[in-house]
Amino acid sequence: MAGLGSFLLLATFVVCSYAATASVVGARRGSRALIDSGIGAFHLVTAFMTVASAVMINAFLTNDFSIKYVAHYSDRIQPLFYKITAYWGGLDGSIMFWVFLLSIFGSIAVHVNRIQYRELIPYVVATIAGVQMFFLYLMVVHNSPFTTFLTPTPADGNGLNPVLQNYWMVIHPPSLYVGLVGMTIPYAFGMAALITGHLDDAWLRAVRRWTMFAWLFLSFGLTLGMIWAYEELEWGGFWGWDPVENAGALPWFTATAFLHSVMVQERRSMLRIWNVTLVIVTFFLTIFATFMTRSGVVQSVHAFGEDPELARAFTVFMVVILVVSFGFVIRRLPLLSARNDLDSWISKEAAFIANNWILLFSAFFVLFATMFPTLSEAVTGNRLSIATPFYNRWMAPIGLTLLFLTGVGPLLGWRKSTIWNLRHQFMWPVLTMVGVGAVVLSMGFRVWTAGLCFALCGFVTGTIVQEFWRGANVRKGATGSDWFTALVGLVGRNKRRYGGYIVHVGAVLFFLGCAGQSFKQRTELLLKPGEQTTLGKFTVRYDSLSVTDDGQKQMVTAAMTAFDGGREVDRLYPAKWFFHKQAQPTTEVAIRRMLAEDLHVVLVNFDAATQTVSLQLVINPLVNWIWIGFAVLAIGTGIALLPERAYSFATEKVSVARTRTRKTVYS
Amino acid sequence: MMKTSLLKVGMTFIVLTLAFAGLLWTSLQGGTEYFKHVDEVMASPAQWEGRALQLHGFVVPGSILRKPNSFEYRFRLEHNGSVVDASYEGIVPDTFKDHSEVVLSGRLVEDARPEGRAYGPNSYRFHTKRDGIMAKCPSKYEQAGPAKARLASRQES
Repeated sequence: MAGLGSFLLLATFVVCSYAATASVVGARRGSRALIDSGIGAFHLVTAFMTVASAVMINAFLTNDFSIKYVAHYSDRIQPLFYKITAYWGGLDGSIMFWVFLLSIFGSIAVHVNRIQYRELIPYVVATIAGVQMFFLYLMVVHNSPFTTFLTPTPADGNGLNPVLQNYWMVIHPPSLYVGLVGMTIPYAFGMAALITGHLDDAWLRAVRRWTMFAWLFLSFGLTLGMIWAYEELEWGGFWGWDPVENAGALPWFTATAFLHSVMVQERRSMLRIWNVTLVIVTFFLTIFATFMTRSGVVQSVHAFGEDPELARAFTVFMVVILVVSFGFVIRRLPLLSARNDLDSWISKEAAFIANNWILLFSAFFVLFATMFPTLSEAVTGNRLSIATPFYNRWMAPIGLTLLFLTGVGPLLGWRKSTIWNLRHQFMWPVLTMVGVGAVVLSMGFRVWTAGLCFALCGFVTGTIVQEFWRGANVRKGATGSDWFTALVGLVGRNKRRYGGYIVHVGAVLFFLGCAGQSFKQRTELLLKPGEQTTLGKFTVRYDSLSVTDDGQKQMVTAAMTAFDGGREVDRLYPAKWFFHKQAQPTTEVAIRRMLAEDLHVVLVNFDAATQTVSLQLVINPLVNWIWIGFAVLAIGTGIALLPERAYSFATEKVSVARTRTRKTVYS
Repeated sequence: MMKTSLLKVGMTFIVLTLAFAGLLWTSLQGGTEYFKHVDEVMASPAQWEGRALQLHGFVVPGSILRKPNSFEYRFRLEHNGSVVDASYEGIVPDTFKDHSEVVLSGRLVEDARPEGRAYGPNSYRFHTKRDGIMAKCPSKYEQAGPAKARLASRQES
């Protein structure tokens, strides 16, 4: 089977190079047959990658330990589910999974757009095939996941690390990959537009949905990573500005910027160079993120190992991307000039431009800070690391400014806002902000960043509610329907706009959760059975320690009772698990989840003889709103992504009275 | 018209870039820590004493001691044959054990303990700050997927 796998990868590489060449030559000569054969080859790549993936999964399922990769990431007793997901558990398999996803997305994008964007398709195929060739080259020459042992086949494999045998960890990487890989499609269309010179705004329509889709999965992947860190690790936080986390966030910033600035180009034909640049930079950052986590160029606790050869290959590829992409941008500059100027700084366009600058700055700041140790070592010879507070000091004001703009953007009109406009639009949101600020102050919160964050959340919420309220009222008046139908119809008629506002609600909830972190309380202590301690409003009593074994692991569990104001509210069971196959124990955190705050209990250590336990208690206010915020964001993105017909029941509903009137007139 | 607007954009860009570069530079002064291996620091300990450091090395097997019923730890860290004593008070990650590859955040201090102490060949001690231990174990390092384990980054977020 390993032979078949290796052969398939090699064959895919060959077919891929044919797809790229045939498309380009076909497009240049105007040969439809050649272009079609290129597209056919492109779909064949998808078929080959699907079979290769099936071979890989089959190897895991049949315990084919002659393949090194399988022996490394699986063993006989591994549950079926983790056997399948071990496919993307390591470096080589993750690269193969990357190509597999890219081939599927590529095929779908090419198939869906083959008629409408006929002139772009050959170059879309060539660009995607070029990217695939790079990763296939890595696999064929450097890291084949199908490498077999030269020595006799081991009887059993090593097994996937138990810490990674967690459902969040299973869906987190593929989700992140879907996001990262998905960004290749907008890039391919952008490049095709640049190469062919078809730089009207049509290519944007082809990529808008793809960007939104990839962006949603990128957000999902990042959120899952946070949930996993919060639930599985013992530090009670969710984001530590680790290089690997940052790598995923970089393209997220630029993609978010693009999703906003694309509207300016559609409405006003401005920012044309900027948009194509953002698409290129986003794609570049996805490759850069892969490079950072796989080549060992930055020191991270959990990057893949150091691999100078891989680092070189990636560096060459990234230089090629930048030179070719920006080479075409420069060549097409005359076609990319804006058709309108900015009329006023008090306009939606200006707010979007400000939002873009800040998002882009965030990306470059995080990139700079992440690469700083490597850069400083290259320049001064001393490796200087950047501590977490430095990130927070910078990103907190940046985040608050973005939050502010989230509220301002929707209130401003296109082109220019008059004073009357401003007063009409800003009055209620500003009043909400002042009201929330006053309440926060009167409640005695004295952390100014958090206080400001709460007030701004009020401002943005005011903006969004006002937009829905006024929009629905106007529609109610126009259609004569009831208020709720008017609201649904409003959203249905402007799915991107109102879906976007719902995404903003998600962002507000996310910021609420982050602001709550300022009020985090933490304590570490030792308790004997029957003793209790108080943190914040909770009193926690340690009852007993028990040891159990389920065959796979020994579990040491502390039984705790939580009281709130003297009333028993919950029982918590933090534990330490000792897997028989692994030397290292895992910590099982116990969490009491509430909307207002979480009580997070960690069993740090125990003394079996005296039954004494050392514990860490954390109260994490508002943290669950971060996850809820993501759910709301996903709903909003889903609405924006819905096809046109989805709301027809509400958008087409016309009141009975009006129908009659019309009948009377015409009869 | 085109020229003036280009000039304006250019000027704005330059001013903003300079302002941010200035801010970045000033805030960097207090925000960075030297990343050093044990042997680099112990080659001239006096030079590094009291500075904010991230110290990289491997935990000497059998050296981790915990004061009973407390969160106080003593251990030794080794790199390229050079060893330093280290102290820590707080919670250690699961990955912190014998042979672990770790990065400690903290400062090198002169150890006040008199001669004839229990262990440690030199008179310097690395005082690790709270949540300052980041550890990875070799097996996990190998096995951690792309998914990466945020396995021990114990900084406050």
